[in-house]
Amino acid sequence: MTTENRSAALAAKEFKSELKPIWCPGCGDFGVLQAIYRALAAIGRPAHEIAFISGIGCSSRIPGYTTAYGFNSVHGRALPIAQGLKLANPDLLVLVAGGDGDGFSIGGGHVPHAVRRNQDITYLVMDNQIYGLTKGQLSPTSHKGRHTVTSDYGSLENPVNPLLYVLAYGASFVAQGTPANIPELTELIEEAIRFPGFAFVNIQSPCVTYGEPDQQIKIHKTVMRSLAALGHDPSDRTQALVRAQTYGQELLTGVYYRNPEPPPTYGSQVRARQQQQMAEAPPRAQILDRFLQR
Amino acid sequence: MSTTKGIDFAHLSLRDALDLAVLVEEEARDRYEELAEQMELHHTPEAARFFRYMHGNEEKHRVKLAARREQQFGDAPVTVTRAMIFDVEAPEYDEVYASMNVRAALAAALRSEEKAHGFFVAALAGVTDPAVRALFEELREEEIEHQQLVRREIAKAPPEPALPTDAWEDEPVAQ
Amino acid sequence: MIDNLVIGMAGSGGDGIVSAGESLISAGAKMGYHAMMTKSFGPQIRGGESSCRVRVSPRPVLSPGGILDVAVALNWEDFLRFGAELPVDGNTVVIYDAATGVAPDALPLVGVVSAEVFPVPIGEMARQAAGTDKAKNSVVLGLLVGWFGLDQEAILAGVRKRFARKSAELVAANERAVALGVAYTQEHALASDRILQPAEARTDKLLLDGNDMCAAAAIFAGCEFFGGYPITPSTEVMQFFTREIWKYGGAVLQAEDEIAGIGAAIGASFGGKKAMTATSGPGMSLKTEMLGLATIAELPLVVVNVQRGGPSTGLPTKSEQSDLFQAVFSAHGDVVRPVLAPTCVADTFAVTVAAFNIAEVYQTPVIVLSDQDIAQRKEVIDPIDTASVEVHERRRPSPAELESYERFRITDSCVSPISHPGMRGGNYLGAGIEHDTHGNPSASGRVHASMNEKRSRKLDPLRAREDLFRIEGDPRAPLALVSWGSTAGVCREAWQHATGTGLQVKLLVPQLLFPVSEDIYRNFFATVEAGLVVEQSHLGQLYRILRMYVDVPAGVQPFCRSGANPFQPDEVIARLRQQALQLQGRVTEASQPRE
Repeated sequence: MTTENRSAALAAKEFKSELKPIWCPGCGDFGVLQAIYRALAAIGRPAHEIAFISGIGCSSRIPGYTTAYGFNSVHGRALPIAQGLKLANPDLLVLVAGGDGDGFSIGGGHVPHAVRRNQDITYLVMDNQIYGLTKGQLSPTSHKGRHTVTSDYGSLENPVNPLLYVLAYGASFVAQGTPANIPELTELIEEAIRFPGFAFVNIQSPCVTYGEPDQQIKIHKTVMRSLAALGHDPSDRTQALVRAQTYGQELLTGVYYRNPEPPPTYGSQVRARQQQQMAEAPPRAQILDRFLQR
Repeated sequence: MSTTKGIDFAHLSLRDALDLAVLVEEEARDRYEELAEQMELHHTPEAARFFRYMHGNEEKHRVKLAARREQQFGDAPVTVTRAMIFDVEAPEYDEVYASMNVRAALAAALRSEEKAHGFFVAALAGVTDPAVRALFEELREEEIEHQQLVRREIAKAPPEPALPTDAWEDEPVAQ
Repeated sequence: MIDNLVIGMAGSGGDGIVSAGESLISAGAKMGYHAMMTKSFGPQIRGGESSCRVRVSPRPVLSPGGILDVAVALNWEDFLRFGAELPVDGNTVVIYDAATGVAPDALPLVGVVSAEVFPVPIGEMARQAAGTDKAKNSVVLGLLVGWFGLDQEAILAGVRKRFARKSAELVAANERAVALGVAYTQEHALASDRILQPAEARTDKLLLDGNDMCAAAAIFAGCEFFGGYPITPSTEVMQFFTREIWKYGGAVLQAEDEIAGIGAAIGASFGGKKAMTATSGPGMSLKTEMLGLATIAELPLVVVNVQRGGPSTGLPTKSEQSDLFQAVFSAHGDVVRPVLAPTCVADTFAVTVAAFNIAEVYQTPVIVLSDQDIAQRKEVIDPIDTASVEVHERRRPSPAELESYERFRITDSCVSPISHPGMRGGNYLGAGIEHDTHGNPSASGRVHASMNEKRSRKLDPLRAREDLFRIEGDPRAPLALVSWGSTAGVCREAWQHATGTGLQVKLLVPQLLFPVSEDIYRNFFATVEAGLVVEQSHLGQLYRILRMYVDVPAGVQPFCRSGANPFQPDEVIARLRQQALQLQGRVTEASQPRE
């Protein structure tokens, strides 16, 4: 017996790659990464069966810090790429990651379609209300009046509410977490991955360099409240929509909504269709026969 | 804050307790290495050196406990896992920042030792097995020693500069 | 005395070495010098390896320079990370922190034995002055003052400005640090004379980078709307607008994405206002469809591409000149659009204003190809006489023309008077669909052909824009040097030096890259037998485009390579010399009697 711990499930360490994160020390994403390692360890799929797609931004660097197959693509387009991958290779565990700008600004147009297709993929958004990688510009989730380098006199815009956005389009699993509580975040990510269908976890992951002082992890620890402790019933979609409206005013963590009767996933319907039709399919060599005029 | 998941302290066996103690050191060891790497990548060498030193310390503690476990229980399978503990003795990610000086790093380490001490105190409240009790009391006392070690380092550390050391830092860079 | 000083400094972000460079260049400006400052970093957002180069001279500075005259290493790991960006040779004065423990005769510089090496107790002096070695950068400023004749007051002014916002104690500590550095130089003199010649006069200078210049020029040209999205290295253009445009009654929108950004600008232009967007390569790719819309709708628009390493996400913080093909050809359909390129911070003003003028007069999108080099480097330049710069407006319909307004009427110049919503009588349908002279949709082959003809012929006068070409040197020279963008500065410096040593070479720097001014090139190449087209792209994009439209002499070769490998004047000079020798050889051969 070696002196190192060995367990039946996979070790979180197996998902940690050699690449050292370039995030600023203190960045919320370190905690998110730790939660992802632990969640993947609990799920137990080997790294080579996991594909992790991202866009552009600090949080989009995350696939490279795991041993899964990663694709750090272009800004805002991780969701369509992930969907194509999942359709082509349905047995993979497909994760998607990005920030609030990547997901709800340039990527915003893709969210409704990913939701309504309901493929079995998990979307993790590291929401820090700012554009960190490009040095502190306004983000779609920045609060109105926020002063940034592109809103010197205060933002004139109302923020997007990512929770309401995704719920409104009909998502069956919506949760919110924070690296201020890594055990809970780990559970939420694990649950989202296990959920059959499109699952969304909004993660309040503060930017230590450009975030506001009252948004940092230390403050999260004092203000965050658990939905479960408030008596929230996650099977009630209407209640979830009501609760989600306080996004930006309070930090609630846990599962907002979990559809008690998850509808069939896109992939399962595709599989059924394929199975139905493949039995009678002619060989590829005869594909042109249908155009024959005899 | 330290968290555990799925540990029944009332029915914890000595073997499991020792294995948990090993995991606690292992977690702390791995975390200090991560933090050292962050410091190195962000050109904060003094804090990096200190975190590497703590990494070495935690590994020493782990080795000692693991040897003890081997002596007493040999090859018997390990049934507790890293998934059961969170940040018991490991400094949390938000305790570090770029350009942090050695004093801040020492303070983070001290808080971690205090946290670990608190963990054993809380655990003892639920423990029933006398052997496990003895072990946790021992480890609790050791955490006090570790705290004293860190406090001695703090006393030796150069005084906090009068001027904030991040005042000279260049503006961050857009990537 | 020396007439040119190139200082390279490296350390970590936490050491403030780039901020020291800012103090240095601002002191240079106060002293009446011309100057240029470039920066380079690691991939970390903060605290990573950082470096800067500051070049100071009484004469205009054309490029960041090659070999460093002075190398300052706060530590060697960081210095060496910058490799070829901080080249040193035997003449470089090397200054480094003695605390690194490296012996002066054992510097980790491969193949270089520096004549003057100073291991200075920089950290120690910093602790003495400020209680922390973070004040090293101020000690370095003191060393530079003492050894190279920089004005102490001018340096201190920069230091005070930097720290005054924070606290008086910080200001005092840094003043002490500078003084200690100066005192050190009095005890340890340089062996060689490296005092920088004073400037001819201490006249006022401008200090700014290319992005700010571009935005300021746009506002000067009457731009009232900016739509865009953050992307490195162009975001500062948008940020200038978010600070300033309100004062001029204009508006700026950080849109939800690149396409929305240019869409908003097109909307503003349709609404009669001068409008602009700015981005980098990936954003240009996204904007392609909208650019086609602006072309067929004949709407004025300025689109700035601050080029960076490509393709795709590429190298966001490095300069390259590889988006020329995209600027010229990226469209579906027969699109001709003007492409301009500044060569330095100073001419970014004139080029940006020219872009607006061309956009407005010819009712077309105009692409301005800046690059990360120009956009993010600071230059100290002579003030620009804006009073002498013309600003042109779009041709609006007269009251008579509004009686029966025909939006796309084919005039002699092929430019139609353009109305905008709000103008009584000027109602029309703008569209991406092909249309007749009234703006009604049309799929007629005849109409389509005449519209394509209108849209391309209206740009013909651009081919004669000699004012957008810089041609210098002996018109009969057989050797040619062609370059564009930031590389043109390097080539201009190389050309100056080469002609100074008697080489017969002429220089052509186009600010207008497309449409290709065939006559101008034909005249230029008429006497040319050999030469170089120098640019930072793997494919040598300008060279290829010129070959498409002009008979480029066979002896004119591309000297091109991928971005993040900047050109130095010396290597251009060396190539020119090589070609000159080959030319001589051919001439000698030609004059030998045939066997």
